Amino acid sequence: MAFLELDVLNNDNKAILGIDLGTTNSMVALFRDGRPQVLALEGWADARIPSALFFDEDGTVAVGREARAKAVDEPGASMLSIKRFMGCGLADCENDLSNVPFKASESENGVVAFDIRGRRFTPQQLSARILKHIWDVASDALLEPAPLRAVITVPAYFDDAQRQATRDAARIAGLDVARIVNEPTAASLAYGLDRKKEGTVAVYDLGGGTFDVSILTIEEGVFRVLATAGNTHLGGDDLDRVLVGLALNEIAEQLDEGVKRDPAFLQGVRLAAERTKIELSQKPSAELAVVAPQLGLNWRREVTRPQFEELAQPWIDRTLDACRQALLDAKLKTKDIDEVVLVGGSTRIPAVRLQVESFFGRKPKSELNPDEIVALGAAVQGHVLAGGTREVLLLDVTPLSLGIETVGGAVAKVIQRNSAIPLQATEGFTTYAENQTGIDFHVVQGEREMAKDCRTLGRFKLIGIPPMAAGMAKVAVHFSIDANGILTVTAVENSTSTKASIEVQPMHGLTDDEVEVMLEESFAHARSDFDESRLVNLKVEISTMVRATEKNLHFVADQLDRETRDEIQDAVTAAKKAREGQDFAATQAARDGLEQATLPLAALLMDSVAKAALAGKKLDSF
Amino acid sequence: MTDNCPKCWADLRTPLFCESCDEVLDTQNDSPFRILGMAQGFHLDRMSLRKRLLHLSRHLHPDVHGTADDATRDLAQRKTAELNAAFQILEDDFRRASWLVRSLGGPTEETEPQMPQAFLTEVLEWNEAVEEARTSEPGSTESARLAGLEDELRSERKKLMDGVAAKLTPLPELGSPELVEVRHKLNALRYLDRTLCQLEELRLKQANSPS
Repeated sequence: MAFLELDVLNNDNKAILGIDLGTTNSMVALFRDGRPQVLALEGWADARIPSALFFDEDGTVAVGREARAKAVDEPGASMLSIKRFMGCGLADCENDLSNVPFKASESENGVVAFDIRGRRFTPQQLSARILKHIWDVASDALLEPAPLRAVITVPAYFDDAQRQATRDAARIAGLDVARIVNEPTAASLAYGLDRKKEGTVAVYDLGGGTFDVSILTIEEGVFRVLATAGNTHLGGDDLDRVLVGLALNEIAEQLDEGVKRDPAFLQGVRLAAERTKIELSQKPSAELAVVAPQLGLNWRREVTRPQFEELAQPWIDRTLDACRQALLDAKLKTKDIDEVVLVGGSTRIPAVRLQVESFFGRKPKSELNPDEIVALGAAVQGHVLAGGTREVLLLDVTPLSLGIETVGGAVAKVIQRNSAIPLQATEGFTTYAENQTGIDFHVVQGEREMAKDCRTLGRFKLIGIPPMAAGMAKVAVHFSIDANGILTVTAVENSTSTKASIEVQPMHGLTDDEVEVMLEESFAHARSDFDESRLVNLKVEISTMVRATEKNLHFVADQLDRETRDEIQDAVTAAKKAREGQDFAATQAARDGLEQATLPLAALLMDSVAKAALAGKKLDSF
Repeated sequence: MTDNCPKCWADLRTPLFCESCDEVLDTQNDSPFRILGMAQGFHLDRMSLRKRLLHLSRHLHPDVHGTADDATRDLAQRKTAELNAAFQILEDDFRRASWLVRSLGGPTEETEPQMPQAFLTEVLEWNEAVEEARTSEPGSTESARLAGLEDELRSERKKLMDGVAAKLTPLPELGSPELVEVRHKLNALRYLDRTLCQLEELRLKQANSPS
């Protein structure tokens, strides 16, 4: 991009969206006019985008608000809380499956898939639909195609498989993931930026499906996470479920067995329970109603706040356990915490607020909207990654220890939880039999002592080790966790310096090939909207280039020979013409042609910029 | 000993990057002291160590190179990982001492796994006490005893660490026999840390809700 580099400030294409991909609701924000701003359509009372999907009989799919509205009337055709299935196998999410009105199965890679109206969808594909919708909302709000690069947030306690699933969902949606950022860390960024604070902060993030607590310090614009703890299957959904349990207990006699297990019915009860829960944050008591005319059911009762709080207490206790763990890992006491920041819709529950306050011994901060704070922070990080500022830097940690299964099934830790990322570690392996040419190893993530109690990240097979006596081969296996918290494994045989190659069987993950296929499918099925957006993006880019070319050509025209000038002029004309058309390939070709033709102009400008800079330097130094 | 930037020949304060031309460097250096630009020795100023980490991260972290080409970003990622590893060693008394012993040609934990003789009898007592606390019902007398034990171990730890610090200040000569003695103390420290960790977990379990 010869020109765009010279014209960075005019080029919006380099901007990076911030997306909070939530369990219940999502949110999108962008850094512009000097601050992060939530993007929402005009007329929306709030900017939350429900993370809901609705599958109509005719094969059309509604996403977001429309899906959420339809789900209330027809819970049997809607998919909610898809985030809870990201990076999971069937066994990991049994609890959550009771709410899903679709048949679930598992692929050989251990990925859950749902049969919806005759098609199979993985959580990655469903999340991709939500991400596309989020992008559409952003584009509509911006009145132009939104950037295709994004920072996407995940719970800090997400493991490797869950992070990879999120990244794959974005790839399927056609988004370029600039960074996966932890939600509490993003929140701290929005919080700290807002008030230019320094000190030690605890972020308590209780969302729809997940809970995180992170302890971090803010110093000279560097946000450094000291420790994080949490639970990726603990959130508002679970609090809904205690009310669902209450309702089902009391209407048990009126229901036959089939209905009690009918996911569509259960989904409906859950939505009713959620409404009651939300009301209880405003009022001392609220009605819980299960109305199903087709079953002759019209059941209502009052639930008081103390009743709900008693049922919710075990869940709140578990969040406080995690707070204790995080403090211990950060080697801090509650008195060392300067501020407590609440994030996530579930922190609106008065009992949660009170208990967090009494745990930390200080009133939590809540001036920032707990629904928006994560997306705003993601937008700030997008701004950093786009080169917009060097004032702010996030230093995060990996939430879980990483280890290798040893003889007897125990885990040898290779990386300790709460180590700063990016990080790398090398572990030596050797052969135990004569002429052995392969070594299997099992990488797990988690804190338990036995491998079977931890999460399998992958089974790796080193192959191509040269035959030699047992114990002679020296294989160095290199683990590296990048700034996204995602692991890669490589290996080298050192005694002969042959590169041993590695075969990875992803657990609960998609292979690259599968992602490719899904990407193509998503284009074929959801077509147009996305191709169109790419075309629009391309046209915006052409406009910027044409503007820059015309402006700069005017300045240095006399320094270019006639032939070059004509070539540039022709290319500009061709690009302008292509801008009017609808053909993606032709537009792309015209854009590339313009770039090619303007290379001499760009070089000339670079040269004069460099000369000017040098001239300036000389003046300074004498 | 100072190195020079291969690009602009400025003196380097860290082998990770050149502060003069802002170039991330791919040099090999495994001294955490060199990497963080701290004087080599057991005692160090925690505040300036932390400031160095923040300063270096600001230049090295891949996020700062978000708009650079893939090769630069990869290099930045690798070098930040080295920085993080170096900081992890220096910020921790035990790791820092252990690294110094090894770099001065002293024994590692694997080649010299013994603990000081006088320490061994106490270890047996402590192990017994921990086991008792673990198996007994959580109650007031037990938790009080647990706290007492924790205090005892902590003061023992401080004594040992002071001994290590004294032996390493000033740093012994390369291959000095004193390094073996320091290693023995470090092994005892490792035992204490493991036991303290177990006690903390136990305490956490008792504080936590029964679930």
